[in-house]
Amino acid sequence: MEKVISTCIYCGCGCGLLLHVDGGRIVGASPSLTHPMSRGSLCIKGWLAADFVGHPDRLRSPLIRQGDLLIKSTWDEALALTAASLRSIQKEFGPQALGILTSAKGTNEENYLLMKMARVALGTNNVDHVARLCHAPTVAALGFALGSGAMTGSISSLQSSDAILVVGSNTTEQHPLVASYILRARSRGAKLIVVDPRKTRLAELADLWLSPRQGTDVAWINCLLNIIVKQDLADMQFIKERTYGFVETLHTASAYTAEKAEEISGIPAADLVKAASIFGLAGRGAIVYAMGVTQHFRGTDIVQALANLALVTGNVGRVGTGVYPLRGHQNVQGACDMGALPNVLSGYQQVSSPQVRAKFAEAWGGQLPCEPGLTALEMLWAAESGSLKGLIIVGENPVLSYPHTSRVQKALNELEFLAVCDIFPTETTALADVVLPAACFAEKNGTFTSTERRVQRIRKAVDPPGEARAEMEWICDLTRRLGAIAEYSSPGDVMDEIASLTPIYGGISYERLGPEGLQWPCPTKDHPGTGILHASSFPHGRARLRPVLYLDPPETPDADYPFMLTTGRSMYHFHTGTMTRRTSLLDREVPTPFVEINPEDARLMDIRDGTKVRVETRRGSVSVEARLAEGVSKGDLFLPFHFSEAPANALTAQCLDPVSKIAELKVSAARLKKEAP
Amino acid sequence: MKAFLPKDQLPLLLDALGERIEVIAPVSTDAGPAFVTWHGQPIDLKDKPLSPITEFLLPHKEALFTYIQEAGRYTFKEEEIPSRLLFGIRPCDLHAIALLDRIFGREPPDQAYFRRRRATALVVQNCTSPGKECFCAGLEAGPEAKDPCDLQLTDIGDGFLCQAETPAGILILNASRALLQPALPGHLQERTKLLQKARRAMPQDRSCSQIRQAMESADWEALGRECISCGGCSFVCPVCHCFNILDLGVPDGQRLRCRDSCMFSGFSRLTGGANPRRTQGQRLRHWYQEKFDVIPQITGLPGCVGCGRCHLTCPAAINRVDLSVASRLMDDSSEARR
Repeated sequence: MEKVISTCIYCGCGCGLLLHVDGGRIVGASPSLTHPMSRGSLCIKGWLAADFVGHPDRLRSPLIRQGDLLIKSTWDEALALTAASLRSIQKEFGPQALGILTSAKGTNEENYLLMKMARVALGTNNVDHVARLCHAPTVAALGFALGSGAMTGSISSLQSSDAILVVGSNTTEQHPLVASYILRARSRGAKLIVVDPRKTRLAELADLWLSPRQGTDVAWINCLLNIIVKQDLADMQFIKERTYGFVETLHTASAYTAEKAEEISGIPAADLVKAASIFGLAGRGAIVYAMGVTQHFRGTDIVQALANLALVTGNVGRVGTGVYPLRGHQNVQGACDMGALPNVLSGYQQVSSPQVRAKFAEAWGGQLPCEPGLTALEMLWAAESGSLKGLIIVGENPVLSYPHTSRVQKALNELEFLAVCDIFPTETTALADVVLPAACFAEKNGTFTSTERRVQRIRKAVDPPGEARAEMEWICDLTRRLGAIAEYSSPGDVMDEIASLTPIYGGISYERLGPEGLQWPCPTKDHPGTGILHASSFPHGRARLRPVLYLDPPETPDADYPFMLTTGRSMYHFHTGTMTRRTSLLDREVPTPFVEINPEDARLMDIRDGTKVRVETRRGSVSVEARLAEGVSKGDLFLPFHFSEAPANALTAQCLDPVSKIAELKVSAARLKKEAP
Repeated sequence: MKAFLPKDQLPLLLDALGERIEVIAPVSTDAGPAFVTWHGQPIDLKDKPLSPITEFLLPHKEALFTYIQEAGRYTFKEEEIPSRLLFGIRPCDLHAIALLDRIFGREPPDQAYFRRRRATALVVQNCTSPGKECFCAGLEAGPEAKDPCDLQLTDIGDGFLCQAETPAGILILNASRALLQPALPGHLQERTKLLQKARRAMPQDRSCSQIRQAMESADWEALGRECISCGGCSFVCPVCHCFNILDLGVPDGQRLRCRDSCMFSGFSRLTGGANPRRTQGQRLRHWYQEKFDVIPQITGLPGCVGCGRCHLTCPAAINRVDLSVASRLMDDSSEARR
C-alpha cells in the first residue's frame, strides 16, 4: 500500500489528500493532516474523490465517428484526422472558424498548452472554458475594481473575521471546508449574515438571514452601502487614500433607501438596517459569495456592488477582511490564470498589447492573433450560425452544463469537426467526430490552483486505463502536427515556461511546491507567495468604485409562468455528474433528479413529496420528482443541474451579461404541472 | 520472550522483516504520518496516523471476487490476499481489531475479513506519549496493549522493550536476534512507570458511562445542524465497519465491498423513500448508539476505543467527546489540529 499526496478534484477549496494505492489500484482517499486548507478534514466528496478512478465506464481508447457509430481507433489515426480536419477548416475559412474549450478540471499545464495551441497553432484567440459560466463576472468586476480578479485573502483568514456576509453561496454544501472556517469565526463571536433566497444550512446558523427576490441583489447591496455611509460607518480614510469614484458611487447608491430596497428585493427594511450596522460596525468584515451572485445577466454589476461595499468599509487588505469569491472547480482559478480566456494570455496579460504578444511570440516561435476571440457561448452561437466550423472540447460537457441545452446540441451538430477529450463518455462525446480518452487527476502529474490562489501539485498514483493518456501528451503531439513547436520533457518543464512568461507565477517551480503549495502572486524564486492581496496598494494604484444601477431581471413571473426557477448544485453531486454519479455512495444519496418547492405552494397544487411534476419554461421542460423544502421561498423552485435525464439547462435563459458574457442561469420564469402517475 | 532493541537498530529490524513479508509501518510524509508499505522511509512512531490500521483488514474498497461471463456461464475468481505485518500499531487500534474479530466472527463468520486477518501479523507499540485527542485509558483500550498481538514494543527511551506473545512474535525476534540485547528488570520497571504516566496524562472524564451521560443530555438536532455530513468520523474510526456491496461491470466485472457510513441519509433510506433517521441529528445519535449501546450488547465491549480520530477529523464545531457545540468552540483556537 502506497499513499500518494495529491489535491482534491472537486471544488475550489483545493484540499490536500492522500490517495491510497494497493495492488496498482486506488482503494481510497484520506485528508492530509498538514495541508493548510484541509488540516485533517474533507467533505463527503473529498473522502470519496478517487472512487470513480477505476470505473469500468472509463474511456479506454480513441474513437472516430463512422456514421452513427464511434469506432475504436488508434492515437495516431485520431490525431492525424484531428490535425487534418482542423488544417483544412483553417485553410478554407480562416483561423477564426476554429476554437477550443479547455477544462477547469484540467491542470494548469494542460490549460497553458491548450491556449498556446489555440494561439500559435490554430491562430485564434477563440479559447475559453467554463469560468464563463461561473466567475467570469468576478474576473471582470474584481479585475476592474481591485486590479486582480481573484480572492483577496486566504480562506483561513476568515476565521479571524468579526462579520461575514455570505451572498448567494450554499457554503456548507458546496464548499464545506470554507464553511468550517466561517463557523469557526462564528464560534469566536463573529456575526454571520447570509443572503440567499433559499434558507440554506448556513442560513439556519446565521445571526441574520436575508431572503431577497432572485436577481435583485444590486438593490439591497447599494442599500447597505447607502445606510453604512449615512450612519457614518464608512472608512473615510480608506476611501480617501485608496479608492477613486466614491462620490459618484454614493450618489447612485443613495437612491436605494431601505424602503426602496425592500420594495425591490422583498427584504424587510429593518433587516437591511440591521445588516448594514452589523457589517459597518465590524472591525474586520469579509464578503463571501458564489454563483448566486455571478450567474445573472448583470453578474458583473453585482460583483462590483459587493466590491464597492468592501471598499467603502475599508475591508480589503487585512487579515479577516476581503472579498472571497468561491470558485466551483478545483482549477477554474488556474484555467483563468493560464489564459484559457479569449482576451488574455497567462497571468491576465492582454492579447491586445503588442508588447505582450511580442514576448509570447518570441518564446513560442510564431505569430499571435491580436483580436480578442469569442467567449464560450459566443463560440457555440457562431457554430450555430455557421461561422465557427471546428471545435476542440477538453473535459467539459456543455450539452448538460451550458444554458439552453437544445440550442447547444444544435450548435455542436452544425460543426464540421468536433473533437472531445474526456475521461468518461458524456452527452457531449456522443456528438463528437473524434473522442480522445484522458487521464484523470490520479493518473498524471501537474498543478491545480485553488480558489485562494494556492498553486499545488497533483501526483500520478496509478496508470490511466487502456490507451488513455495524460492530456499533455496529445496536446503537444497535436500542436506539433499543426506545425508549431511543443517540446516538453515533463509537466514541471511546462511550469518553468509558464513561470518565465507569467509574472504572477514567476517564482513558481515544482521544486518549490511543497505540501502547502504557493499562493500567487509569487513573482520571484525567493518570494514566499502572497496570502493577502492589496495590503498596502492595489495593482493599479487605487481601487475603483463604480456606481451600479439595479435593472429588473430579464424574466419575471407572470400569469403564464408564475414561478421563479433557480438552478444549482446538490451537495452530493458535481456538475454534470460524470464523476459523482459513478461514485456509489454519492449516487445513493441523490439518485434521481428533483425539484424543490415550498410546502405551501405544493399543498395548493396538491403536490406531495415524490409527486412527478413537469417544470416548464419558455425554452423547454423537464420531468422530475417534487421535493418539499421549507428552505425554498413561496413562488420559487430550485432545480439541480446534474442529471441528464432531467437537464436543468433545457430550461435556463440565455440572455448574457454584456460585460462578462455569463448567461442568466439563476432566474427563469417557470410553471409546474402535475404529471399523470 | 522479552528482549531489548536499541533505537538505532529499528530500521535494521524492519529491513530484516521486510525481506520476508510486506511490512506496513507508520511513516512520516509531507501530509503527516501514514501507514504504508515500508521501504526505508523515515518511521514516525510519535504521531498517530489519521487513517486507522484497520483499513488493512477491512479495505475502503475491496474486490470480493471477479466475475467473468463466457458463453452464458459465469466463472468467479477471488483475489490473492497479501500477507502483511502491521508494525507500530497502537493499543487502541489493536483493541479495535479485537472488537472487529468479535463482530465479524459471529456466525456466520465473515470470510473476506478473516482471510485478511489470518494473513496478518500484529506488532503493537504501547503509547508512552498519547496525543491531545486521546482518551483510550477511560475506555480500557490503552495506553498499554491488553489484547492479543504477536509482538509488543514499548519505547523506554534509548530503545524498545520487545515482548513476544505468540509463536509468530518469537519468530520475528529470533529472525533478528543479532540486533537484540537481553531485556533487564530495569527495562520492565521503566515500561510500567512510563505507561502509568501516560495513563495519568489522559483526561479522566471520558469513560463509557460518562459518554453515555453526554448522549442523554445532548441536543442532537443542534449538533445535526453543525454537522456537514462528510462521513469523516466513520472513515477514520477503527471500529466503524459498515459496508456496501455493489457489482461493477456488465457482463464481466467485480463484486466490490466499499466502506459506508450511517452518517449518510442513503444508508438508512428505504426503497420507497421513507427514512427512519431523517435528520442529521438523528443519524449522529445513531452513530453514538451503535458504539455505546449496540456494540456493547453484541461484543461485551464499548464500540469506541478512545483514539479521538473523529475529533481530529470533524470539520464542524462539534466536540465529539462531550457532545457539545460550545466547549469545542472554546478550545478551538488553542487546539492543535496539526
